[in-house]
Amino acid sequence: MNAGSSVGLIPVIVTQVEDVSPGVRLLRLSPEDGHYLPGFSGGSHITVGIDLDGDIHLRNAYSLMSSPYDTSHYEIAVRRMDSGRGGSRFMHRLREGDRLGVSSPVNLFPIQIHGKLHIFVAGGIGITPLFPQLEELERAGAAFEAHVSCRTSEDATLAHRLSGRFGSNINIRYTSETGRQDFAAILSRRPLGSHVYICGPSAMIADVRSTARALGWSNSHVHYEQFVEQKTGKAFDLKLARSGLTLRVPAQVSPLEVLEANGISIPYLCRGGACGQCETRILQSDCGIEHNDVWLSESVKACNSHFMPCISRADGGVLVIDL
Amino acid sequence: MLITGIKSRPVYDRLTPFPEALLHLVVGQGSGGTAMSRLIAEIAPGADIEVMYSTESFTGQNHLAALKDAAPGRFDWFASNAALSQALHDRLSQAFMGTRLYLAGSESFIGLAMKVARQFDLNADEVLREHCGSLVRRVWCVHCDTYSENITQRVFSCSGCGKPLVVRDHYSRLMGAFMGVQGDAEVPGELPEASELDT
Ligand code: FES
Repeated sequence: MNAGSSVGLIPVIVTQVEDVSPGVRLLRLSPEDGHYLPGFSGGSHITVGIDLDGDIHLRNAYSLMSSPYDTSHYEIAVRRMDSGRGGSRFMHRLREGDRLGVSSPVNLFPIQIHGKLHIFVAGGIGITPLFPQLEELERAGAAFEAHVSCRTSEDATLAHRLSGRFGSNINIRYTSETGRQDFAAILSRRPLGSHVYICGPSAMIADVRSTARALGWSNSHVHYEQFVEQKTGKAFDLKLARSGLTLRVPAQVSPLEVLEANGISIPYLCRGGACGQCETRILQSDCGIEHNDVWLSESVKACNSHFMPCISRADGGVLVIDL
Repeated sequence: MLITGIKSRPVYDRLTPFPEALLHLVVGQGSGGTAMSRLIAEIAPGADIEVMYSTESFTGQNHLAALKDAAPGRFDWFASNAALSQALHDRLSQAFMGTRLYLAGSESFIGLAMKVARQFDLNADEVLREHCGSLVRRVWCVHCDTYSENITQRVFSCSGCGKPLVVRDHYSRLMGAFMGVQGDAEVPGELPEASELDT
């Protein structure tokens, strides 16, 4: 394995590979030293170091779907994306015995344990965090229900596993046969103190959020997690003013991933331009900046004084940053 | 109101309508009545409004008649804050998402009502609290778990266990009150000087 992407990561071995539905593969990752991996709570994700040909080092985020009460291994589900940067295609080529590096888990999608009722709305691969989340709720004796959308029954293997595990609290809907879920029916007249968790494609997240708002749900009871797909752009040079280093950022790699591959760690959480952790000052640029984040204000974006290296990039040329 | 150097003391709001609410639950006590009437007048006509009022008051303020007139829908009143908080609990357990709660009254009353609201996981974007009336403290005895209301003196004797309590400047959100700790625990009989509380 190339050193690049695994700098600072925990070494793991792929110990089980299972294709569960068309284009979706489960991977079991066990610690190389045979001990335990860091503990986590339901809703956490890890980032996985990915080495592609041509010295390209990516890090993709995947929700953990294994039990939070058994950290002898992690389990993740990867949906193959035939367009895109190639990270998921790499993950689909892995075999048992292959080695990888993973980050410690981060939870940006935790259960609100004081809630009275926990309602999950999930679609597609978004179902994965529900496994540990529902297990936590079950242990706590909390009330929950999940509404899972699958395109066809072929795509429903994970949903069936979830309902096999958690029974009648899981409601599965085949959208190609019966159309999409009626979100208003799911969210109307629910007991005070309910929480809704949305895990699915961005259109589903937007729909459920606006339905909840229209029904008077306050923001503090509506939770969602969105993994943004990294956009590919143009290659450019990233110059670090403090160390004088210049790093090449390839078209399909984010500046954050390039920094990490070179052993330079900066704070991050969401890797999707939402949390603000990675905010960095721009000192000089001879190029345009593509601000793909939702964190910086429009006025900051307009004057190009700061940018978010997890998701934003320059469109060629040299970008000098305060690192 | 209640501007002090006590960091743990809640920062209160001014009651203004939550426009997105499906049900406005307007709840208050004593001198809170004025804030309640003012709020009701600001809520868009036709909205679902329910009012709950307790006439228990340290300073004798009673806005019952005015509120009865102002309330467009269901109106319930209670002779004590304890009865009101029980009724609030019963009402919230029947309520749905989309409910917004407004509290107006003394700090004791707001602390009591917030303890109920917290059982239903109501957050700052669903509850507003306006402090009205006198600047007295509600104190929770760490020794016997009793609440003493309307405390104005730094040292007082606990209404539960009778121990001489010193009122700390620490407001516990969990208990909804200031903490009271036995003042002469180290040397019996040796108490800090009696003084008026900074309320
Ligand atoms: S890591 Fe969250 S905004 Fe960059």
